[in-house]
Amino acid sequence: MKDYEVIIGLETHIQLNTVTKIFCSCKADSWEDEPNTNICPVCSGLPGVLPVLNEEAVRKGAALAAAMHAEINPESRFDRKNYFYPDLPKGYQITQFDQPIGKGGCLDLKMPDGQTRHVRIHKLHLEEDAGKTKIEHGTRLVDFNRCGVPLVEMVTEPDLRSGDEAAQYLIQLRQLLRWIGVSEADMERGHLRCDANVSIRKRGSEVLNTKTEIKNVNSIDAVRQAIGEEAKRQVELVESGGTVKSYTLDWDADRGKLTMMRSKESEADYRYFREPDLLPVVLSEEKIEAIRAGLPELPMVRRERFEREYGLSAYDAEILTGERSLSEYFEAAVKCFGGGEKSISNWMINDLTRLMNDLDKTAAELILTPAFLAEIIRLVEEGKINAATGKNLLRKVEESGRDPVEIVEAEGLAVIADSGALRTQIEAILAGAPDEVANFKAGKESLLGWFVGQVMRATGGKADPKLTREILLELLKN
Amino acid sequence: MTVKRITPELFEKLVGLAALELTDEESSYLFEEMNHQLASVESLSQVPIPEDVQPSLHGVEPEGTAPRADRWVPFPRPERIIALAPESENGMIAVPDVKGAR
Amino acid sequence: MKLVSISAFEIAQKVRGGELKASQVTQEALAQIRKVDGIPGSLLPYQVSAEEERKVHAFIQVTEEMALAQAKKVDEAVANGEDPGMLAGVPISIKDIFCVEGTTTTAASRFLENFEAPYTATSVQKLIDAGGVILGKVNLDEFTFGSSTESSAYQPSTNNPWNTEHVPGGSSGGSAASVAAEETALSLGTDTGGSIRQPAAFCGVVGLKPTYGRISRLGLIAFSSSLDCPGPISRDVRDAALMLQAMAGQDPKDSTSSVRPVGNYLQALEQDVRGLRIGLSPDYEAVYYPDLETGEIHREPIQKEVHDAVLRAAEVLAKAGAEIVENVPMPNTRYGIPVYFVVSRIEAASNLHRFDGVKYGYRTKSEVRNLEELYRRTRAEGFGPEPKLRILMGMYLSAAGYSSDYYQHALKVRAMIRRDFDRVFDPIGEFSLDAMLTPTTAATAFKRKDVFGDSLLMQYSDQMTVASNHAGVPAVTIPAGLDDGGLPIGIQLIGNDFCEDMILRIGRAFEQKTQDDAWRKVRPQALGGEVQA
Repeated sequence: MKDYEVIIGLETHIQLNTVTKIFCSCKADSWEDEPNTNICPVCSGLPGVLPVLNEEAVRKGAALAAAMHAEINPESRFDRKNYFYPDLPKGYQITQFDQPIGKGGCLDLKMPDGQTRHVRIHKLHLEEDAGKTKIEHGTRLVDFNRCGVPLVEMVTEPDLRSGDEAAQYLIQLRQLLRWIGVSEADMERGHLRCDANVSIRKRGSEVLNTKTEIKNVNSIDAVRQAIGEEAKRQVELVESGGTVKSYTLDWDADRGKLTMMRSKESEADYRYFREPDLLPVVLSEEKIEAIRAGLPELPMVRRERFEREYGLSAYDAEILTGERSLSEYFEAAVKCFGGGEKSISNWMINDLTRLMNDLDKTAAELILTPAFLAEIIRLVEEGKINAATGKNLLRKVEESGRDPVEIVEAEGLAVIADSGALRTQIEAILAGAPDEVANFKAGKESLLGWFVGQVMRATGGKADPKLTREILLELLKN
Repeated sequence: MTVKRITPELFEKLVGLAALELTDEESSYLFEEMNHQLASVESLSQVPIPEDVQPSLHGVEPEGTAPRADRWVPFPRPERIIALAPESENGMIAVPDVKGAR
Repeated sequence: MKLVSISAFEIAQKVRGGELKASQVTQEALAQIRKVDGIPGSLLPYQVSAEEERKVHAFIQVTEEMALAQAKKVDEAVANGEDPGMLAGVPISIKDIFCVEGTTTTAASRFLENFEAPYTATSVQKLIDAGGVILGKVNLDEFTFGSSTESSAYQPSTNNPWNTEHVPGGSSGGSAASVAAEETALSLGTDTGGSIRQPAAFCGVVGLKPTYGRISRLGLIAFSSSLDCPGPISRDVRDAALMLQAMAGQDPKDSTSSVRPVGNYLQALEQDVRGLRIGLSPDYEAVYYPDLETGEIHREPIQKEVHDAVLRAAEVLAKAGAEIVENVPMPNTRYGIPVYFVVSRIEAASNLHRFDGVKYGYRTKSEVRNLEELYRRTRAEGFGPEPKLRILMGMYLSAAGYSSDYYQHALKVRAMIRRDFDRVFDPIGEFSLDAMLTPTTAATAFKRKDVFGDSLLMQYSDQMTVASNHAGVPAVTIPAGLDDGGLPIGIQLIGNDFCEDMILRIGRAFEQKTQDDAWRKVRPQALGGEVQA
């Protein structure tokens, strides 16, 4: 296996999160809908109907092209790809062939070992999705709800070298899609679908050998596993004197197995030609500029800036830029705090993310604003409340929406820093534990911790720990 | 000069690509007619094209409709569409399986 | 004068003015259909009686109930003091290639025998909204594929009202015949390579192919999407202008429909032709077609009477003050048919992909083993020979894929055809024409069965009309006399982009200057006229 290099190219289909379909005014998303209830004469291919392009699909497609560092085509065109299949009601798919919306492009993968893999984009174009079919007792049943959903098809060059890299590509792509807001990129719902082309070659060789295509590798794990399996199969085949044939394989995620779908020898003739029902998609220089300008700072750039500007570790920076609103939350909190990036980072990574997971919310959806978080951290750092109280406050603020300072006052959560009041309480505790006091005085100084615990319990954790120690030592040593 | 002809083999391939099947009578008629039409089409190969000529898709440059706004307008009673299908089951259009045997 | 004989313009005027009831007009039109049309075209076997041979057979379906309901609505509007629209009460037939909710839309194909579209074509909706009364759906060549209406799966197909032994032309044969036989005042046709103008010329009526994009294509079952144009067929130029006025304009559901503002076509008719420059081209004097053995191109001069009619029209217009410019070169006209073979067949093959027996229309009744067989059997049984031929030709011409020499090359020749028009219409160019005057067809209506079956010859009957489809420019055919056999001759006026007003204005002037010509008094056979021996 280690004598061989695995060559992988990924073909992804990305569902754009527009309100409506690409060529008609039906809803784009039919996840919750009964079959064939979100259709119209256009997407179900009735005779006489015509496609009308959704401008938002164009804008989102162009934004993705920009985010992938591709050139945005000022005049792209649509073509017809002709073939018969029951899920394709017109008998042709409207897609882009030789004048796609994006040209070129790349994505740099940051591998966990610190290496970077540069992946070039071979193709990036807009097209319409087909419907869904399922087999029931030998009959194929067709649902057109998904027909006409706007997709971007994006194909990489064969630049990936392992299942892990392919998985990382999908992880970063998914992050990017959500980051720039063009797709929900939910793989379970088919918003991001993937086919993988896999071939092998002897290390050091430059040739591209016959590849197989694995269909339906629709999760991060599936990509990693399926490619691993297929590379292993190809190596074993070649090692035993066989040759790899151009198959299309299907990945069965449940059984973790590849099955052969068909030989690709008889490549279909799609007879592409220009779609006469649509005009060229013209994007002016200003429009293209506006699309570029409208892009947020991209994840990799922000991640590096966080390391540089805030002195965060690579690990922290990666987590905080894992999702766009989280990274924005961080910066907002730093601004409110007026610094404190390290502790904000710690609070966010350790505590805030747990809260978000529990509540299934993104940072943007939190009621606990960055300003509130900054306030809580400040209260802790100034000793006004202890850390445990601070952590509890996160949830209280999220649930009530109230200002943390207000909650601290109303609920009396501030630490007891009045030495007179604390002394009275400690005296009472010592009076109630004569044996322990005697033992301590006899030299068992490790009991100090136990006394501190008693005080904390009695004060509901609000006693200032430093002051508690001082008073305890004073009273015990006398 | 002899004219280019579509071969019987290519013709058969085209029949498959077109998802048709033909009787012998139809085949011989259509095969001949196609070759007649091809004679007309082939006459185009003699037409010299000046370098600056770009393919024209519509003749007139359509000053067409701009892309539409992304606004949902549901089609009323979509079940009317499925009602047109020769065969349907539970609101789904039914066809034989690709592999057959139903 | 009978109501069925008067113009759409007058009907609408009288109905709007309360002088005439739409219901009455509709009843008379329905009566005329019953009188002259004979049995409707159908898939059923039929008896060819001598009497039926002399009927028009324009209609596949008469929508009597719908028509009467629409007429009633118009009458109610008038009674309520509302404006029922510019086509108030005007009877209209619709080529059965337009989807109209509440009717079956067959495209003259077995495939769509029972197809009822759940929506209505924009052009038809605009006619209804303007107060028009839809009498029914008329016959055509299957999927509009032809120039004689004989390829319709619905037989008997339409006869020429002037001489029922002759074809009405096609593919809008039912449309042109229904107007000529006074069954309806107006008809909605489609023109992809001449399918409005050629039958209009054959039937002695007016037919207008507007600029591509002037009338929405939504609801027109596509033949060749980059060429298809809906358009009016009428008995005079003013009615064509009126009908165009009702239908023209941008449609948000057709991306290729033009945003350009719509002119006032009726007003344009009031201007005369003084000072207008009208061109005659030697390239419209002959048909060029290939020898099947050698591939050599033959030149066949057009019918002399047709050529004479064009020259006579030029004289009439010159007398009216127009300037006739002779010897205008249109050198790429002769490539119109071969380019059309490539472009229209490739687009048609793709447009017919959707007819697969899955979603609507015909599905084979025979047992099939799998999906592939379902497709093949269904399409084999559902399509007639002409669609099969066009599909196969389209497959061949595009099979090589995108780099296909045929397609790219044809689109370039199409651009050169366009250049011919650009050059002659250029306002600061050598010719600066306002219109071209040409024959509409190389010959008058041919006999039934004479050409049918010879797909090459049939296609070449569009030689004079197809160039304007390639260029996208508007063109209108106007009756200009009868040949020795008593068959109508059409002349064609071709204008610059969106200059429908200009060609209609010239056509109207010609019509008025020849109003008293003897040939205009001759009545078609179907209306009791004598057939010349």
